[in-house]
Amino acid sequence: MADLDRQIEQLLQCEPISEAQVKQLCSKAREILIEEANVQYVDSPVTICGDVHGQFWDVMELFKVGGMCPDTSYLFMGDFVDRGFYSVETFLLLLAYKVRYPDRITLIRGNHESRQITQVYGFYDECTRKYGTSNVWRYCCEVFDYLALGAIVDGRVFCVHGGLSPNLTTIDGIRAIDRKQEVPHDGPMCDLLWSDPDDIQGWGLSPRGAGFLFGSDIVKSFAHSNDIELIARAHQLAMEGYKLMFDKKIVTVWSAPNYCYRCGNVASILELDDQLRQEYKVFSHAVSDVRSVPAKLPPAEYFL
Amino acid sequence: MAIPEYQLSNPSPHVSAISINSWEITSSKKPISNARRLDQLHHVLEIPLPEMTYGDNWLSVKHKASGWEYRLDTQAALSAVRNGELRPGDGGVKVDYADKWLVRSSSAPDSSLPMPETVVTKEYDWTYTTTYSGSANQPDSFQPADPENPFHNIPLEELKRRDPILFFSEIPLFEDELHDNGSSNYTVRVRVMPTCLFILARFILRVDNVLFRVHDTRVYHSFNRSPAILVKETCGWEAPYETLKQRLAFGNDLSALTSEAAITEQLTNMDQNQSQVIGAGTGWKGLGRTVEVVKLE
Repeated sequence: MADLDRQIEQLLQCEPISEAQVKQLCSKAREILIEEANVQYVDSPVTICGDVHGQFWDVMELFKVGGMCPDTSYLFMGDFVDRGFYSVETFLLLLAYKVRYPDRITLIRGNHESRQITQVYGFYDECTRKYGTSNVWRYCCEVFDYLALGAIVDGRVFCVHGGLSPNLTTIDGIRAIDRKQEVPHDGPMCDLLWSDPDDIQGWGLSPRGAGFLFGSDIVKSFAHSNDIELIARAHQLAMEGYKLMFDKKIVTVWSAPNYCYRCGNVASILELDDQLRQEYKVFSHAVSDVRSVPAKLPPAEYFL
Repeated sequence: MAIPEYQLSNPSPHVSAISINSWEITSSKKPISNARRLDQLHHVLEIPLPEMTYGDNWLSVKHKASGWEYRLDTQAALSAVRNGELRPGDGGVKVDYADKWLVRSSSAPDSSLPMPETVVTKEYDWTYTTTYSGSANQPDSFQPADPENPFHNIPLEELKRRDPILFFSEIPLFEDELHDNGSSNYTVRVRVMPTCLFILARFILRVDNVLFRVHDTRVYHSFNRSPAILVKETCGWEAPYETLKQRLAFGNDLSALTSEAAITEQLTNMDQNQSQVIGAGTGWKGLGRTVEVVKLE
């Protein structure tokens, strides 16, 4: 415990822990996560967060606004890694909190918690750069496979990274999935991590040729048949930090301010009190300095 | 080197400008648009907008003597994205696992994953491919270049010289990560040197496991040439994803495939028939090279 507390202190300074410590942390995390349901029960009050994408110093801003763990109970809806400069420190900090305070933080899987995606979008690269080998990336990917696919707060607020699936009309249906695998390219597990709400009725096919869009009627009927008052999801950038749709039955929560260090957007977290009343707390990005955006290349002034 | 007289200014916090010789060059760089601005743009453009739409970014290059103005802006760049069903020449593609998806959709009745009935969703080019190359306020001012005229060309040697840069701006117009299936990006860069002004407006697309596509617009004007002309060159390249992956991937590390410099270097150094004629076999109309000039008299 004392070791773990020291690791948390170190990670809070944005300093990576050793490879041996990562190995041990990931192994403990798997023991905890394997016991969790595909849709994990969470009690209110809880603070719900969307994508953070390795923007470590902005996660520190998030904790300033929302309170530190374990004083505040947190639910992170995935996409911890990729794109930001500190995916390693960000994910390991959240994981260390999970191991230290398993009942005070819930981590669910985003589409970036995948071997394939992290090889393209930065996490693999960051792990090999910071540790010299890909071992840390492999340990983390093994943890990804154990993350819950969703959570439900007081039985009334359903939380998922992407959205709904046409093959899953009930939350019990989600419980039947064998989640311990790489995110598949199709099927219900894929849909939960990838789908998006859209201004249509029924189910739509994305023009990309893969991926579902779902309309307000789908959300309302899912909410009705599962006795849900709100679906909280992440996955899409919202310039105002959150976006309510379909008579406030579904909300997108976005927690990466100034996304990719250049969008200039604000972020938010959703605080649910013990009556499940919603309060959106909006916050801006950390003041950027030498620490927050390292080794910035000079602008390519002599472009050709 | 003699540096002509010039003035820099900041007409507003996000706008910067240089006035030099008979030119006024102005750049507007703001954060991504808020929901209200996006609604306005959506109303006009009628397509789902890129997730990072810099709706109020633009570059203007104005020739004060003649009133001629050349402009690059986000709304115009996006209005050149295909709205509607994709036609031959649009170079439309699907994500690489789309075929597997269709199998799911046409799956036998005994399949454990029956496809729901789906409604038709908005048809548009989800890759935001655009051959937009800016526009002038005087129609038809761009005329085909004379291949025999050495001035109807962009002198790369001069641009490679490390002359002092009097004004520089990098202006993103839009960016979309294609729902984690790649990346689509349009960025404008401008630099003003003692002897010339130079613009690069670049659309760059990666669709994972499918293709790479680049459309460049370069604009060059020499302050020292008479009669005064402005040269615009547009170039389009494509290559199958696998071709560049073989050259750029380093084991499991695919990060070079997200590097603009690495991709454009590969595409421009490839056999021209491969990258500018055959491309990725999509029939995209943007392949090839065109040079035009404007006479500013």
